[in-house]
Amino acid sequence: MPQSPTAKLAHTPPDGGWGWVVVFGSFISIGFSYSFSKALTVFFKDIQQDFDVSYSEIAWVASIMLATMYAGGPLSGMLVNRFGSRPVTIAGGLMCGLSMVAASFGNSIIFLYVCIGLIGGLGLSLNLNASLTIISKYFLVRRPLANGLAMTGSPVFLCFLAPLNQYFLSNFGWRGSFLILGALMLHCCVAGALMRPLPSAPVPPVENGSPRGREAGTQGTKLKSNCWSRVKIVDLSLFRDPGFIIYLIGNSMFFFGAYAPIVFLSSYAVSQGVDDFSAASLLSIMGFVDMFTRPGTGLLANTKWIRPRIQYFLSFAMVFNGTCHLLCPLATSYPSLVVYAAFFGIGFGMVFALIFECLMDIMGPLRFPKAIGLVTIIECCPMLLGPPTAGALVDHYGDHRYLFIMCGAVILTGGLFLFVMNVYNYHRIDKKGKAKDQELQGDDVPQQERALEHMPEEGPQAPGPGGDETGPGATEEDGAMGEDGAMGDHGRRSADDSRKRSQEFHDITI
Amino acid sequence: MLHPGVKLCAQLLLLSLSWGGTHSTGGPGSTLPPVVSGPPLSSDVRSVVFKGESQVEEVQVVRPLTLALECTWTGSQDRPHNISGFWRKDGSELADSRRPVLLENQQYNLRRAFSITDEEGLGNYSCVFDNQAEVDFILAAPRVGEVRDRPTVSYVGDSVVLQCKMEDTKPRPNSWTWYRANGTNKELLDPEPDSPRYHIHNHEGKTKLTVRNLTEADSGAYYCGAVYDIGVTLSRVDLRVITFLEPLKPFLVIVGEVLVLVSLILLYERTKAHGTHPDNPLSDDQAHKLTPDDAGGEVTDSSTRQRKV
Repeated sequence: MPQSPTAKLAHTPPDGGWGWVVVFGSFISIGFSYSFSKALTVFFKDIQQDFDVSYSEIAWVASIMLATMYAGGPLSGMLVNRFGSRPVTIAGGLMCGLSMVAASFGNSIIFLYVCIGLIGGLGLSLNLNASLTIISKYFLVRRPLANGLAMTGSPVFLCFLAPLNQYFLSNFGWRGSFLILGALMLHCCVAGALMRPLPSAPVPPVENGSPRGREAGTQGTKLKSNCWSRVKIVDLSLFRDPGFIIYLIGNSMFFFGAYAPIVFLSSYAVSQGVDDFSAASLLSIMGFVDMFTRPGTGLLANTKWIRPRIQYFLSFAMVFNGTCHLLCPLATSYPSLVVYAAFFGIGFGMVFALIFECLMDIMGPLRFPKAIGLVTIIECCPMLLGPPTAGALVDHYGDHRYLFIMCGAVILTGGLFLFVMNVYNYHRIDKKGKAKDQELQGDDVPQQERALEHMPEEGPQAPGPGGDETGPGATEEDGAMGEDGAMGDHGRRSADDSRKRSQEFHDITI
Repeated sequence: MLHPGVKLCAQLLLLSLSWGGTHSTGGPGSTLPPVVSGPPLSSDVRSVVFKGESQVEEVQVVRPLTLALECTWTGSQDRPHNISGFWRKDGSELADSRRPVLLENQQYNLRRAFSITDEEGLGNYSCVFDNQAEVDFILAAPRVGEVRDRPTVSYVGDSVVLQCKMEDTKPRPNSWTWYRANGTNKELLDPEPDSPRYHIHNHEGKTKLTVRNLTEADSGAYYCGAVYDIGVTLSRVDLRVITFLEPLKPFLVIVGEVLVLVSLILLYERTKAHGTHPDNPLSDDQAHKLTPDDAGGEVTDSSTRQRKV
C-alpha cells in the first residue's frame, strides 16, 4: 500500500455524524457574523440622541464592523490555518462579547467605532472564517448541503435579532442592550466548542515539516518554527488560478450590486406610496424567503446533476438575482413589491448558499482558508462602494429606478461573465484531465485512493483539521463565484491517485 | 346623522390675519395663549374644496384669526326649498347659529365666520344640515406627529437627552417649553442657565432637554410644548431610569449558561475520547485558546497525547 497518498491526506471527511453538529455550530457563528451589524441599526436613533451626532456618523459603526469583518480575512485565515477552527472561533466569540460589553460603557462615538467596529468586526471575521473552514473539513460529498444549512444562520438570526433588539431597547436602553448582546455573542464560544477538530494522520518524517504535523499535536512545538516560516498572510500564488480570478471578478460584481437594493427597498416602497410599516415588512418577507431558500439550494446543489457543474448554478443564481432587480422598477404597488421581495429573497439566498461552496469547489479545502481571506478583503471594496454609489444615483436622479437598474445590470453581467468563463474553464479542465488520464492509464490505483480523489486539494501544504482558512470571505452577500467544482468532478473521473491529483491541480491552475 | 350616500361638499375659507412682525406673545412660562385684539387684515385666502365620504377636515391654526367655514350640501332625495342648518362646537349647538338655509343651484350652503382668538376657540366645529348631514372641522394647533411610544431608558448617574421634533411640513413653533408630570399636574421646567441638572436647547424645529445625574425619581412623563401664538400643544415623552443591576441580571444568566454549555460540550468530548482511544488532538487547540476563561476552565490539560497510528 503506497504510503504517500494516505500520508498526504489528513483525513477523509466524515460527511455526517458529528459533522452535523459542527454545521449547527457554524450556523450560529455565521448567523452572528452576518446579521449582527444589520441588527444594530435598531439602536442608532437612541445613541444618536445621546451622543449628539448625525445619523450617518452613527451608521458608520455598522459599516466599520462589516468592513473589518471582510478585511480581517487574511489574518483570520492565517490564524485558522495555524490554530484550527475551534480556538479561533472561541477567541472570536470572546472578542465580540467583550467588545460589546465595553461599548455599553462608551461615551463617545469614536469609542464605539473602535469597540464595536474594529474589535467586534475582527471577532466576527475570525468566527466566519473558522466556521466555513471547518465545514470544508468535515464534508465533501454533502458539502453543498452543509454550506447551505450553515449559511441559513444569517437570515434566521436576523429574523430573531431585530425584534429581540427592539425588546431590549425598550426595557434596558441601548447600554443595557449592548451588555446583554455581549453575553449573547458568547454563544459563538459555544459554537466553537462544538467544532471538534478532526484527528489528523501522523506525518512521517519524510514529509516536509508541514503545519499539518504540528496540527496533529504529536509533534508538539517542534515544528513551530517550520510553521511560521511557511505561514503567509496573503498567498499571492492563488492569483495564478484562472478559476479563482474568474470567481473573484464575478463575486466583486455581485457584491457591488448586492446590498444597495436592500438598503433602499423601504424608501423605494415609500416613494411608490406604500406606508412605512408595510415597507419595512418587505425586508422581513425577503428574509423569510431567504431562510428557506438557502437549505433548499444546498440540497439542490448536492444532487448529482448539479454538483459537478456547480459553478453554472451559481452563475444562474446571479443572473436570476440581477434579472429580479432589473424588473423591480415595474413593481409599483405593494402586492407587486411583495412579489419582488420574495424573488429577491430567493435569488439572494441562492447566491449566498452557493458562494462559499463554489469557492471551496474551486480551491479545495486546503487552499480555501487562504482563498477566502483574499476574496473577502478584495470584496471589501465593491461591497462598501455599492450602497453609496446607488445612493448618489438616487440623489442625482431623484428616482429609485436607476438604482435597481444599475444593480441588476451589474449583477446580471457578473452572472453572465461567470457562466461564459466557466464554460471555458470547465472545458479547459476537462481537456487537461483527459490528457492526464491517458498518461496515467497504467497506474495501480487502490480503491482507497480513488475515494480520496475527491479531495484534490489535500496537498502537502494543507494544514490539519483545523487548518482551513475560510476567510471572512464572502459575506453571504458576496456572489462569490466558486468555479472549482470542476476539480471534484475531475477527480471523480480520473483514476489517478490523489497525490498526483494535487500535483495536477497546481499544474492545471497555473 | 349622516346620509351615507350623500356627497357633501364643503368649502373652507381661511382668512389669515397677520400683524406687523411675528412676536411670541407670552413668555416661555406662560400657559395662557395671548389675547390679541386688533384690526383684522386680510392676507392670503385659502379655500379647500371638500368632497367624498369622509366628513372630517383638519385645520391647522397657529395664530389668532377669523376663520370662515363653509359647508355645501347637495341635498337628499326630496329637496325641500327651505331647511334649517346650524353649527355645533364640541358637540353642543352654538346659541344663535340656527338659521334657515335656502336651496340655491341645487345646493344648500351654510357659512359662518368664527373668531379664533385663543385656545378655547379651537376644537371640533360641525355644520349640520337639517339633522341629516354633517361636516366636521377640527381646528387645532400643530402637534408633534412622531410620538415615541416606548419610554427612553437611561441609568442612574447617567445623563439623557429627551427630544421633540416638529415635522418640517408643519409650521415651526415660536418656541418650546418643557413640563414634568407631577401627579395629575404638569409642572413647568424652567431651569436657570447654569442649572447643573437640566438644560434645554432649542434649535429650529427641534428641542432637546438634557437631564444630568439621573436618579430613579426622575422617571416619569415629560411633556414638550410647542408654543404658537394660538396656544401650546403638548407631546409626551416617557423617561425610565433604572440601575445598572437590571441588565446585569440577564447578562450574568446568559454568561452562566454559556459557561455551562461549553463545559458540558468539552466534558462530553473528553469522556467520549477516554471511552474510545486516548488518541485525540484535544489538547492541541485547548493549549492555544487566546484567553483562559470560561471555555478554558474545564480543559487546562496541555499535555500532548500520543496518537495511535
